[in-house]
Amino acid sequence: MDDMSSHYQVMEELGSGSFGVVYKAIDKTDGEIVAIKHIDLESSEDDIQEIQQEISVLATCASPYVTQYKASFLKGHKLWIVMEFLGGGSCLDLLKPGCFNEAHVAIVCRELLLGLDYLHSEGKIHRDVKAANVLLSQTGKVKLADFGVAAQLVNIKSQRNTFVGTPFWMAPEVIQQAGYDFKADIWSLGITAIEMINGEPPHASTHPMKVLFLIPKNPAPRLEGNEYSNTFKDFIAQCLTKDPDLRPSAKELLRHKFVRNAGKPEALQELIHRKQDWDGGRGETKDVKYYAESLNTMTRPEDLDDDDWVFDTVKPPPIFRPKGTDWMTFDEEENAPDPAQMLEDMHISAPPPPPKHQANSTVRRVPTDRSPSVRRANTKRRSSGVKQPLGLDLSYGNSPSTVRQFRRVSDKVPTDLNPAKHGFDENQSPKTVSTDSSSKEAQIGRRAYSKAVGMSCQEVLSTTGDGDKREAISRLAEAWSDLEMVDPEGLYHIVRIMNEKLQADSRLSTLLPSTQPDSPSRPRLVLAQNNPHLKSHRRRQSYVPEPQPQSPPSVPAQAAPGMEHTKQLSDVLYQRWSEGLRNRWGGF
Amino acid sequence: MAFFFNRGRSRQPADIVRTTKELLLRIHDSQNAPKAEEELAKQLSQMKVIVQGTPEVPPSVDQVHALVQATIQEDLLFDLSRSIHLLPFEARKDTQTVFSHILRFRPNSYAAEKDPPVISYLVHHRPEIIVELCRGYMQSQSAMPCGVILREALKFDVITAIVLYDQSSEGESAIRLSDVKPNQRQRGDGVFWRFFDWIDKSCFEVSADAYTTFRDILTRHKSLMTSYLATNFELFFARFNNILIHSDSYVTKRQSIKLLGEILLDRANYNVMMAYVESGDNLKLCMKLLRDDRKMVQYEGFHVFKVFVANPNKSVAVQRILINNRDRLLRFLPKFLDDRTDDDQFMDEKSFLVRQIELLPKEPVDRARPTRDSPSAHTAAVA
Repeated sequence: MDDMSSHYQVMEELGSGSFGVVYKAIDKTDGEIVAIKHIDLESSEDDIQEIQQEISVLATCASPYVTQYKASFLKGHKLWIVMEFLGGGSCLDLLKPGCFNEAHVAIVCRELLLGLDYLHSEGKIHRDVKAANVLLSQTGKVKLADFGVAAQLVNIKSQRNTFVGTPFWMAPEVIQQAGYDFKADIWSLGITAIEMINGEPPHASTHPMKVLFLIPKNPAPRLEGNEYSNTFKDFIAQCLTKDPDLRPSAKELLRHKFVRNAGKPEALQELIHRKQDWDGGRGETKDVKYYAESLNTMTRPEDLDDDDWVFDTVKPPPIFRPKGTDWMTFDEEENAPDPAQMLEDMHISAPPPPPKHQANSTVRRVPTDRSPSVRRANTKRRSSGVKQPLGLDLSYGNSPSTVRQFRRVSDKVPTDLNPAKHGFDENQSPKTVSTDSSSKEAQIGRRAYSKAVGMSCQEVLSTTGDGDKREAISRLAEAWSDLEMVDPEGLYHIVRIMNEKLQADSRLSTLLPSTQPDSPSRPRLVLAQNNPHLKSHRRRQSYVPEPQPQSPPSVPAQAAPGMEHTKQLSDVLYQRWSEGLRNRWGGF
Repeated sequence: MAFFFNRGRSRQPADIVRTTKELLLRIHDSQNAPKAEEELAKQLSQMKVIVQGTPEVPPSVDQVHALVQATIQEDLLFDLSRSIHLLPFEARKDTQTVFSHILRFRPNSYAAEKDPPVISYLVHHRPEIIVELCRGYMQSQSAMPCGVILREALKFDVITAIVLYDQSSEGESAIRLSDVKPNQRQRGDGVFWRFFDWIDKSCFEVSADAYTTFRDILTRHKSLMTSYLATNFELFFARFNNILIHSDSYVTKRQSIKLLGEILLDRANYNVMMAYVESGDNLKLCMKLLRDDRKMVQYEGFHVFKVFVANPNKSVAVQRILINNRDRLLRFLPKFLDDRTDDDQFMDEKSFLVRQIELLPKEPVDRARPTRDSPSAHTAAVA
């Protein structure tokens, strides 16, 4: 098979999507500009099939209102998905300089309805409509994007139960898991319209977990105030009809006065120009990151003194493997990379950029697992060997995160996070450094890092807005990560001693949340639906990481004040999904 | 939509089917017939409305019944199945919808436990349609729609039997269900065996879809598959090892190792498993996977490797390899994927294997189990 990737000249990074990095690229055969998403399959455990599902939904769409899929192929263990390039950015990006006006919202809504009408007639539900997933072309064309959780129905009348989407935009029937259909997208569209006019969805300041209680319980959100036209208010009210049977379809809404009177999509160029001016005004020199074939972060469990297996058959002569190439292969088509650019990619001395945290990832279905086993219960951070990079959203934290079963880790992030390594010692895998430290302490140290230290750095990072502070935290996080790689034992001892000292100091020990150990089974979400004290009740029992022999009884994660409940709730929520419970939510 | 709908109602399904048939023959004869393609797309979208109704109006059982009868009378499904790659984009999807609905269709009076009438018709009278659907993997345009239809059909074991046992070449008539002889060995050139190449050689989308169908064939109908594997053991695993496990495609390799583990650990395939883990060559293959430079390949390989070690009645060949590599394994395993500290099952299994390897005797012990005549004739190339 010929190497499809050589048909594309990959250029700068456009951003890290919900799973993987998206690059701008040129199709060399016809000069067309495209967007290519790179998904590292090595970092996802069981969901290759799911990615295929997403591709098959995309590949069967052909509509001017849906981002056009072009091709997908493998390059090593990366999957490249080629899509049409949309230069205007997402509606969420365009909201940064300020809210949209009603005329703009009307245009976007009409175009979205045309897209949804197409999808729905195809038996597809998008399930994650929100401003972040609406992309604009340079000329103002509006397209639905990100089919990461879309569903293909066999029958136009069939329903779904799976709990996916992004909490703030989720329709009540999706949250209640009582069976839903296309109408769920219409609700999300209504929320998206509010998001565009107000800059954020309703309940935006509320914790996303709590929102899951509010949406089914509260009356549907409405636009209030004289600044909005009555037709707009009515349009929102129609979209946000709580009973899905009474909620109009996309086709019906296309006849609504609000969208019938909407202007041409070209008018949306104003928003794109506004964003460009805004970026310019802030003096934001775009930190352009160019594509370079990423360093291979995988390791061989190889000992220098340990040969390959001895079989009776004659051993083939060992293949000479020049040491460097394993780790430093740049793409062939990039064979004339700008040296300065390469240097920049290495970030030899520059401090690492603060890792982006993902604000809006999306809930994924729970895939079926190989065998019934404890693996399921522990899937939360199943490492697939690749170091989990800091900065990707792992807990539901307090960002308006969507919920996705697996976090597909963009390989870009670790590259950014370990710049020094690549610069100084590219031949040595992080792994080989620590191969000899497999003692119990080292294991606990690694676990402490992966379960507690790394995540707590990240949680704090995600609540920190200030740039300098973020950078300091991410540097600290990086240092922990280095320590974990080089000396997990040392890490363990630091955590242990730190904990002992905290406990020993009478003032400090009382300040820390108490850590009465939970029973080994993780907390279950017992939803007394109308129990308003749920949250505070949860807060009272602070979260304890899974019991682990000799594991330090308390780790710094718990010291982050006010974060215990989110941890707890996200954990509980996670477990709910992972067990596929879908019936306890009715009857709000 | 209402426009289409009314038109669909006013015209008899039989007319639509006849027109479609004529148009299909026309696009088959002339490569470039944009007019006919356009007209075909219209007919197919009308058929789609008949089988699935509209969001406003549910489909009428009588209309669907009439359509099903007309398609069988005109042998339309055969023409459709071999022409999907010639159809325009939307028409391919409509064909997929129409086809799937027709396969599932049961008249009101029909007993629920019986196979749907079209399924029975296919396996007894027109198995060529099933074979043509498989051949849809030869073109990327038809691969995905054919795959969806096939998987719908493969829910029925009789269809799976046709796919497994057909050995017809193109243009020949395919095997009827009554002619299936499970005890006869396969030549290895039937339609089922072509899946190996479709998975290995096609582009990513086609390969992935073919793999999904292949997996369905192998895992859905246990008793059928067990007897098939028993009869064609050598041929099957030679292909599986040489083509799929050795594939250059990361996805094919990883997915097929996983599938191998699933097949072997399925209780229904106990005898297949015992035969597989007797072979030293199969063990060598797995041990190489443990040293692959991709972690997920190592990990999937481990789940096959463990079966060899855990087997209490290891063949002499397997014992010899394990004993010769005992020290290496005991150095290797403790560090193998040692960052999977969350994965309790994996850690447990790993330490179990270490214990088993420690307990191995100094020299292989022949437990006088009858070995298969040539368990590795086909897999020798692997080493």
